[in-house]
Amino acid sequence: MKTLEELRKIREKAQQDMKLRESNTRIKIVVGMGTSGIAMGARDVMKALMEEIANRNLADVLVTQTGEKGLSSMEPVVDVIEEGKPTITYGNITADKARKIVAEHIVNGKVVNDFVVTAQS
Amino acid sequence: MLDLSLNIMDIIENSVSAHATEIKILIEMTVSKNRLRIDIKDNGIGMDEKMVDTVQDPFYTSKIQRVKKVGLGIPLFKQSVEMCNGTFTLRSKKGVGTEIDAVFQYDHIDRMPLGKLADTFCTAILGHPEVDFDLELKRIFLDKKVDYFHFSTREVKAELGDVPITYPDVIMFIQETINENIKKIQLEEI
Repeated sequence: MKTLEELRKIREKAQQDMKLRESNTRIKIVVGMGTSGIAMGARDVMKALMEEIANRNLADVLVTQTGEKGLSSMEPVVDVIEEGKPTITYGNITADKARKIVAEHIVNGKVVNDFVVTAQS
Repeated sequence: MLDLSLNIMDIIENSVSAHATEIKILIEMTVSKNRLRIDIKDNGIGMDEKMVDTVQDPFYTSKIQRVKKVGLGIPLFKQSVEMCNGTFTLRSKKGVGTEIDAVFQYDHIDRMPLGKLADTFCTAILGHPEVDFDLELKRIFLDKKVDYFHFSTREVKAELGDVPITYPDVIMFIQETINENIKKIQLEEI
């Protein structure tokens, strides 16, 4: 059973951790969570992204979600927003593709060209 | 939509677009009444009477400027309720908030499974860290015994202080807590 005691321990650890870092969010990953996105599996994509971020302990990456983006035929859609770099929009993403994006794009900084829909600066 | 948890996710997204800061979700299974109830309540901008009618129409969307002229979120959920002898109620007041109350016949053959509720809750909570979520899961047995689980992000945030709720270890904590309790309450035989 999970307890609040455990949460307190996490808090202490996180506070130590945050002291060492300067900027809080380096990369923002945005998942399109409109009706069509949800129907196409955006929730599983979001879950895969969050698990991957948690397992790799990427505290400077923020996963968040937005509504319908007008790309319904390409759902689920994922945006990777990084300061000073063009915003990359990935389309037709699955949980496995999402894990690949974290490994290659977020961690190694290499855009996964196969899944890219648009790139805009 | 393949299951009810995806419908719930969609309704939560509506609440967030309506600038809700607090979303309350109640899922209640009453054995004696053969009833499953899903109630989602927010404190968003709300709707007037005319809009309450129009959002239940599949050919209406709140997005005026877009090319897309249909919105299926609420009609889809309404359909899932009504095809299994249930009732769908949408109450809303401008400036106060919106409440969707869906009651299903639990054992109706057309009732969709609840699905991965934990996934819906976790992604909603972590995808909208600025919104406070209040979850209540209840299973009321024939002998009036109640299995109950309550989870409030407000409590978690109070405990965390200045540490964000999206911090990796916190994500794990929330996922495990919700998963554990959904299993314990056994809202649905899987």
